[in-house]
Amino acid sequence: MKLMRCPLNGWRNISEFTYGGEVESMPNPVTDASDVWAEYLFFHQNPAGLVHEWWCHTATSYWFIAERNTVTDEIIKTYPTSELFQKRVDFSQEEST
Amino acid sequence: MTTVHPETLKRRSMLYRKLATEGARFERTDDGAAPASYANANEVACARKMGIADLTTLPRIGFKGKDTPAWLVQHGVKLPGGPNQACLQQDATLVVRLSNDEHLLLDDVEFSGGLVARLASLWAFESDRLCYKLLREHSHFWLLLVGEYASAMLAKVCGVDMQPKQFPFGCVAQTSVARNNAIVVRSLLGTTPAFHLLADSASAEYLWFCLLDAMQEFNGGAVGLEALRALARESNSR
Repeated sequence: MKLMRCPLNGWRNISEFTYGGEVESMPNPVTDASDVWAEYLFFHQNPAGLVHEWWCHTATSYWFIAERNTVTDEIIKTYPTSELFQKRVDFSQEEST
Repeated sequence: MTTVHPETLKRRSMLYRKLATEGARFERTDDGAAPASYANANEVACARKMGIADLTTLPRIGFKGKDTPAWLVQHGVKLPGGPNQACLQQDATLVVRLSNDEHLLLDDVEFSGGLVARLASLWAFESDRLCYKLLREHSHFWLLLVGEYASAMLAKVCGVDMQPKQFPFGCVAQTSVARNNAIVVRSLLGTTPAFHLLADSASAEYLWFCLLDAMQEFNGGAVGLEALRALARESNSR
């Protein structure tokens, strides 16, 4: 069984995890056009090589980020979302500035 | 001795019908009933080797939110050092830390604590305090796996190594047990190894069946609160 390290729960069988898609910046809901949103929601980069992905440890509903090599299927590292998202994004403020 | 009928009480275990057919005699818990014994002369001996007990109607509660650790400490609760750890309070209540901000409190088999009831009555919603009460008694069923073969039995249905060296007292695993999400907490009944297992209430009968099936090779079986208490006292006096 392939193993993955959850930042909260430690090493677990891969069957305990759910894939959540590539990590991408969310478009601005106020200023970005619908084609940008369609790209964000329905299309994926799917590169050969290093990717950043959302994963969820199902037993705890804990979401985190994994760096994975799509060529070798090696999981390079996993870390909590707080390492990437450190402050709340306020779109309405962006618009007014 | 008064006969207790679970169906006449407010709270019932998701398993009570099944346990009744297996010969359970019930006793009152807080506002429900739990199996006291199964009229098995060897129940204590069985519990010492491999037993399974339904503790679903025993007092327990959960709290979640950023301000939860501070609120619990304010009310005299000793917190485990980090997520996925558990520690005993002076009154034998087990506090389980599921994440930085989420805690689960389990009363002991003697219902000696009262901490669960005290915190439940102390808690009130305050909009500026991020601490929320979780009704764990409704969402989860609660089993105790007890006996020297408990970790060997769990190895058949769970991928996490629960041997004492890898998973000592106070360790918590939120993992998959027989393909169901479950919380497993390593505990102790006197000196006998024990594991608390909590999982989604809808899966109670399925997991009860799976675990009984897995413990067949260890001659395991259902045990009641009386055997658990006898074991705790016997072990303590050794």
